[in-house]
Amino acid sequence: MITYYIPRNSNIVVKKTVFDSGSEQHQVIDKDSTDYQAYLKWLEAGNTPLPADTGA
Amino acid sequence: MAYGTVNADVVQSSVSGVSLGAGNATLMKNRIINGAMVIDQRNAGASVTVSTATYCVDRWGFSGSQASKFTAQQNAGSVTPPVGFSNYWGLTTISPVSLASGDYFVAYQVIEGYNVADFGWGTANAKTVTISAWVYSSLTGTFGGSLRSSTNNYSYPFTYSIPVANTWTQISITIPGATSSTWNTTNGQGILVNFALGVGSTYSGTAGSWSANNYLSATGATSVVSTNGATFYITGVQLEVGSSATGFEYRQYQQELALCQRYYQRYNAGPAYTVYGYGTGFNASTINTFKPLQTPMRATPTTLDSSAANTFKFDSGSTALVATTISYNPNYTNANYIGIDLNIASGGVAGQSYVLASNNTTSSYLGFGAEL
Repeated sequence: MITYYIPRNSNIVVKKTVFDSGSEQHQVIDKDSTDYQAYLKWLEAGNTPLPADTGA
Repeated sequence: MAYGTVNADVVQSSVSGVSLGAGNATLMKNRIINGAMVIDQRNAGASVTVSTATYCVDRWGFSGSQASKFTAQQNAGSVTPPVGFSNYWGLTTISPVSLASGDYFVAYQVIEGYNVADFGWGTANAKTVTISAWVYSSLTGTFGGSLRSSTNNYSYPFTYSIPVANTWTQISITIPGATSSTWNTTNGQGILVNFALGVGSTYSGTAGSWSANNYLSATGATSVVSTNGATFYITGVQLEVGSSATGFEYRQYQQELALCQRYYQRYNAGPAYTVYGYGTGFNASTINTFKPLQTPMRATPTTLDSSAANTFKFDSGSTALVATTISYNPNYTNANYIGIDLNIASGGVAGQSYVLASNNTTSSYLGFGAEL
């Protein structure tokens, strides 16, 4: 499953992938990348990244 | 008191015609890292099905236009490596592809600019280099690959032959230095070295010359991806200055590992309560954890991979708090130090010190990547 979050005190977007095994991958995504385009579509679909003030 | 004067900066070795300190006989002549495929931090010898972009044995990546067409594994198939080597990297086709023009499947290593700055590429003084390797395939024929610039628009396709199936063949390709294009000489992508496993016409060009194209292979090269179960194994990869291949440069294990850790560092649990680092409570549900890295990385890491969050816990005195989510915080990270925020359900205390440890499991891990 793929979600996105914005780390505390930053404007960086991180893509989080959780695999079937439970293992995770977190990837900082560049605004020029196809990953960032996917993030924008994810937002358009009504999703919201975790807010920065949760400390997540 | 005078002890004399040393005028030479070259030392003759016991090997005829080879001088230490000169040309391709220098230490660190091999610009490839983990060319003997010894280090496999991510997978520890396990097989993985590669996606469109997957790092496998350290420093070696796979890039494909389609996912799930290959498995990759250190010592896949358990064949005997060539004499002098203990490991190799193997790729096996698991879902054959009839190549379209835009398809590409390559095994590659990106060499950091600092490590090829002396090549002088992009200038009139560009040095000739030679790639050598041991290769093994279930297929025979003319195989392809390329060197490509940091701007991805200047490349040199090459070919080599594997005349006998399922037999190690030593190959050597000499490439004139590139006098044009832009070549990174700092901590970015210096040179991309590709070994092609099937590349369509869009990314294939005439072998044996530089051109202003993004070529990943030579026209007409053998396509490993087109045959189900086909194998391609490789080891002993060396890229050195000079017009002939010299003996493979073996490095001590710790030296090779440290070179790899500039790009990826994996921390695996040993005992079930292995300590990973230390943290400070941010609030009731968040603990900020900090971890110094074993070697400085190429740049601030951009990836964190880990076992499931609940394989970690925080200890403070007699209190143990199990992590519920992990978040990488690059805002508190640099090339020497990692910041991770871990959430817990409740019970955290702001300002309190915690120890981040494995939660009664030997399979937890944290990995940080600054690959090119």
